Amino acid sequence: MNGPLIVQSDKTLLLEVDHERADDCRRAIAPFAELERAPEHIHTYRVTPLGLWNARAAGHDAEQVVDALVEYSRYPVPHALLVDIAETMDRYGRLTLSKHPAHGLVLTTTDRPVLEEILRSKRVAPLVGARIDPDTVAVHPSERGQIKQTLLKLGWPAEDLAGYVDGEAHPIDLDEDGWALRPYQRQAVENFWHGGSGVVVLPCGAGKTLVGAGAMAEAKSTTLILVTNTVSARQWKHELVKRTSLTEDEIGEYSGTKKEIRPVTIATYQVLTTRRKGVYPHLELFDSRDWGLILYDEVHLLPAPVFKFTADLQARRRLGLTATLVREDGRESDVFSLIGPKRFDAPWKEIEAQGYIAPADCVEVRVNLTDSERLAYATAEAEEKYRFCATTATKRKVTEAIVRRFAGQQILVIGQYIDQLDELGEHLNAPVIKGETSNAQREKLFDAFREGEISVLVVSKVANFSIDLPEATVAIQVSGTFGSRQEEAQRLGRVLRPKADGHQAHFYSVVARDTIDQDFAAHRQRFLAEQGYAYRIMDADELLAQDG
Amino acid sequence: MSSDEKPAAAPRSLAEALRGRDDTSLAALLRSRPDLITPVPSDLTQLATRAGTRASVVRALERLDRFALQTAEALAVAGDPATYGELLGLVAGDARDPEVTAALPGALAALREQALVWGADDRLRLVRTARELLAPSAQHPSPTGLGPSVQEATAGMSPGRIQEIVATAGLPSTHDSVSAVGALTSLFTDRKRMAGLLAGAPAESLEVLERLVWGPPYGQVTHDPAVRLRWLLDRGLLLPTAPGTVVLPREVALHLRAGRAHRAPEPVPPAVGAAAGHRPQVVDATAAGQAYTALATVEELLQDWDEGGPAVLRAGGLSIRDLKRTAVALDLPEPVAAFWVELAYAAGLLASDGEADERYAATPAYDDWLERPPAERWARLAEAWLAATRTSGLVGGRDAKERALSTLGPGLDRSAAPEVRHRVLVLLAGLPEGAAPDTEAVLARLSWERPLRGPQTAQGEDDLRTRLARWTLAEAELLGVTGRGALSAHGRALLGTPADRAPKDASPTPQGPGDKLPVHHRAGAAGPEPLSTTGRARAAATAARLLAPLLPEPLDHVLLQADLTAVAPGPLKRPLAAVLGVLADVESKGGATVYRFTPASVRRALDAGRTASDLHAFLAAHARTPVPQPLAYLIDDVARRHGRLRVGAASAYVRCDDDTLLNEILADKRATALRLRRLAPTVLAAQADPATLLEGLRAMGFAPAAESAEGDVLITRADAHRTPPRTPPEPVPDGPPVPDATLLSAAIRAIRAGDLASTAPLKPADTTAPLAPGELPRTSPAETLATVQAAVLTGEALWIGYVNAEGAASQRVIAPVRVEGGFVTAYDHTADEVRTYPLHRITGVAELAGD
Repeated sequence: MNGPLIVQSDKTLLLEVDHERADDCRRAIAPFAELERAPEHIHTYRVTPLGLWNARAAGHDAEQVVDALVEYSRYPVPHALLVDIAETMDRYGRLTLSKHPAHGLVLTTTDRPVLEEILRSKRVAPLVGARIDPDTVAVHPSERGQIKQTLLKLGWPAEDLAGYVDGEAHPIDLDEDGWALRPYQRQAVENFWHGGSGVVVLPCGAGKTLVGAGAMAEAKSTTLILVTNTVSARQWKHELVKRTSLTEDEIGEYSGTKKEIRPVTIATYQVLTTRRKGVYPHLELFDSRDWGLILYDEVHLLPAPVFKFTADLQARRRLGLTATLVREDGRESDVFSLIGPKRFDAPWKEIEAQGYIAPADCVEVRVNLTDSERLAYATAEAEEKYRFCATTATKRKVTEAIVRRFAGQQILVIGQYIDQLDELGEHLNAPVIKGETSNAQREKLFDAFREGEISVLVVSKVANFSIDLPEATVAIQVSGTFGSRQEEAQRLGRVLRPKADGHQAHFYSVVARDTIDQDFAAHRQRFLAEQGYAYRIMDADELLAQDG
Repeated sequence: MSSDEKPAAAPRSLAEALRGRDDTSLAALLRSRPDLITPVPSDLTQLATRAGTRASVVRALERLDRFALQTAEALAVAGDPATYGELLGLVAGDARDPEVTAALPGALAALREQALVWGADDRLRLVRTARELLAPSAQHPSPTGLGPSVQEATAGMSPGRIQEIVATAGLPSTHDSVSAVGALTSLFTDRKRMAGLLAGAPAESLEVLERLVWGPPYGQVTHDPAVRLRWLLDRGLLLPTAPGTVVLPREVALHLRAGRAHRAPEPVPPAVGAAAGHRPQVVDATAAGQAYTALATVEELLQDWDEGGPAVLRAGGLSIRDLKRTAVALDLPEPVAAFWVELAYAAGLLASDGEADERYAATPAYDDWLERPPAERWARLAEAWLAATRTSGLVGGRDAKERALSTLGPGLDRSAAPEVRHRVLVLLAGLPEGAAPDTEAVLARLSWERPLRGPQTAQGEDDLRTRLARWTLAEAELLGVTGRGALSAHGRALLGTPADRAPKDASPTPQGPGDKLPVHHRAGAAGPEPLSTTGRARAAATAARLLAPLLPEPLDHVLLQADLTAVAPGPLKRPLAAVLGVLADVESKGGATVYRFTPASVRRALDAGRTASDLHAFLAAHARTPVPQPLAYLIDDVARRHGRLRVGAASAYVRCDDDTLLNEILADKRATALRLRRLAPTVLAAQADPATLLEGLRAMGFAPAAESAEGDVLITRADAHRTPPRTPPEPVPDGPPVPDATLLSAAIRAIRAGDLASTAPLKPADTTAPLAPGELPRTSPAETLATVQAAVLTGEALWIGYVNAEGAASQRVIAPVRVEGGFVTAYDHTADEVRTYPLHRITGVAELAGD
């Protein structure tokens, strides 16, 4: 009875990382528990129904889960919790979606009362067809996603064994010349391919694009890739051309400006969700080819309408890529039922330890508002308060000091408010990339930055996602989208890519003391602190003094 | 049941049977039916009478196990008296089921011990009240599903019809109905002849019998019954009871049932087997873990209520909102929270404070409890739980009057609870160590032991005993008496060792002439009896001793992390937990505790009087790991701002732009009475009110000016003296006010009525001397009644003398409307309304002379 694991009554698991059996224990519990926080000594995992069903989907049974808990637990595990786990896991797989030779898509059960129960539900009734026999009911193929979503909500997740259409074949191979998939990337591709559909969780900078490319090379069929924005689309294209046998002509871009449909098509969420007169005109993209694989980049940002379209695409293989399953809107269960269970997950720190992402030094710099600013802040309207304290002039001095300190390195200054950024750009003598900057101009600046022609770049939130700036070693955040945790993660990701010269990465967050800016910062940082990125906190005066 | 010394004569009554029993045997009776000696009866006749009362018999029947009850039910449908053979036939059937045959003597002995059955084996008699309760009748069907006997069913049937039936059944006709019924009965009870009779029955008729055989034995027929029914009716196989209803006579049913009174006699209690087995160490460890959680939960609950718990509802108990709040605070479902609250109450750890605005709070006993070692604390809770009659499981339900049952409120006592808890634990103790039973098997066993308290009491939902048993199993797990469903070693110890029970089991086998009672058989079946108070205390101490080494040792360190959390990887020593509880918020509980530091929690610690350096020292002392920089920064940052704004009370202030002047005032000795304090260079605060301050300063030779709340200088003038608010005096008119119309008419009516009463010439009923005006009429009660009754008929008004409850006499004129139950209801002319007068208060009546 001296295991590394402590089971809490709220179904969190505390893992003492310094314990000699911690690694074994981590391996044993990882299949069913979500890593929630990974600070330095005690990691917190959470056991949720989704996690348990993920484990079931991966072929683990309740006995293994219970054994793992009992085996590694330091204190006796409450009986009620074990019973609850067994019962929850038992719910998965009572219902199966499969293909019937005569009736097409059918829902079968191994437990008749369950089928009776769900058929009685008002929400299920419109989705099913004729009762074929006491244990089987027909489901219209178009409702495959809907019914999975509904059943999950009812607490009886269905196992989808109905298979996938192969789609139109298209030769795709990885072009492993001078590089190779990293072991964990290979593992992720393998897990996904065996699981059929699902989500791969990898930290920023861990090479999610390559996992996507790997999956495409397995599928060898036409592929639709959904990404967050045009810059990201270009990056995907660039990366695919470089890493696979695909040529420029085989890859199409479907965005606000271009509407190309090629064997591999990269579309943005934005164009798909554009609505004109109440209809989504670009939806036919999904039907325009016989896609064999659909890739979702940044699943945690997937807009709600895309979920709806995805529900109709259940016969196609789907791969979701993300850095975090945490969704600010709490729609994790839709990701589970429509894209698929989690197929691979590697904690941030672990990949960092393997040397694939650069370790980062995170510092929060607290600046004091001047007396007059404090007075103005106190009287500001509630909705203006954040803008006011986030753009305080004092931040400029601090930012300048940091830029001076790291002179010669590639520095990104990231912010939310354009005036602030313009002003910073002026003082730092650096170009500013913002919403109105044209894509061509953006790419030109990015290239210049990459080449080292420019060493300081000021960017607004348009650069939040999927831009690839390999040589940025310092990021300075002057303001953010309020308390968005995943934005903070994305921004840290900007400096986490491995540096050619092994420089340590620095992430500075400049925050106005005693204001809501500080509260938002605390909220944003919580995610990273929980991932093991401890922030140091510095006073601006201290920083300026060192600098001086 | 043979005895060496036969009694002189067979007992003729229960009293005689009791008289024949020896002391041990009587003691056994009184122990199982303690209601018989409260109060102690004067003699055995009285004891027998009391044993035959309905309430006592019902109580005794309710305490029978299923087989004893079935035996009693069988006796109720047998002849009175019945022979042992007859009884055996009813219980074990014609086939003489060996299991039943073996169990019957025991069941019969139990019934005899309880004085429900008396008489020797050849003349077994069921106590009459029990017979009435158990025998089938049209009003309440018997659990046996049998109908009335032929004799009962044919009572009231015309002799002609009986003769017809007898003839159709193939029997010779007799002279009278009695012998005809006798012949029919003997035909029905003779298996061979009966088989012959039924062999000739049409198949549909047999189907009808088939439907009725296991009861209910009643069926509906039309005026013109179908052929298949007619065949049965003609032979007396169905007998009419009421128009349109027929019954299957008991003898016929018994023939069809091969003699058995019950479809399924249950001579053997259902076995409680092990559904799952765990290693005993695992069970004990799990239970101990839960026991520790139990202690933590009770402590947390009372900690939460430390500074004044929730208010007591006017009807008693805790409001639903307070229970919800407590459940949220404890992070538990409401029923579980209710359980802990009730447990703490049962253990005497919390109670209402009895103040005017009544609240719940911890008792002084709680403070003592806290000081004890954990194992003893647990034993105290477990002991209280075992003995409590309050059942938290009822909370949230409604009582018979549809009032909600609230936690700590009235109406939660269920006297069966301790007994059921004990029984459940004894059943668990009967299993091998580490074995967890199947819940349903436990419930089945309990319902076998007390069938009358069993499922038939309520359809659909479980009866109280079953619910109590379910709660017991759940609560035992919560409390750590069981672990993984199996009884733990310390849980087993709670039941006591045989030594704790020794004095009771030592009772010798009772011996009684004619009524030899193998009591030992019963004792074995019921298992160990609940312990006495001292036995319980001893058992609890043993349990505590067993539990102590299993409880986790409290730790004196925590792990601090950069995400501003602290993890205590086990239970903490109390002082450490107390400080940490103030300094950080608890985020998750269980084996470990996760604390989170927030600016608010750190501020709370500072408010509690700790300084930043205290906190740093505290964390450094108790952290296994270095204190993370963000945490140290957080404490300093909060401390920096803490107390920067100060709030205090002052009655007045002095302000002056010239601080030297203020220095002068402060330095002046005469200013001490004003209790001045310098808040800022130009402001002094005073504890004296502004007027005193002004006066004081003037006395010191200054010329202060008063200031309004807005800062304007107040021009002072001598204040005019004022009274508190007053109302102007009422004018005093020279006469009373003029009455209004209603008042007037009422007054007139009253005057007229009084006039009628006092002046009407009287026509005394029988008395010769006329009454003097003002004198009360006096007549004898009989006369009064007669006169009043006559007046009701004639509608005349009467003059009465009446003495009210205060003893004041008055004369009234009434017109009686009704006389009943010693009251006269009458229209009172004097009061102008209908009133009711008790006859005995009427001194006398007189008719009003003339109208």
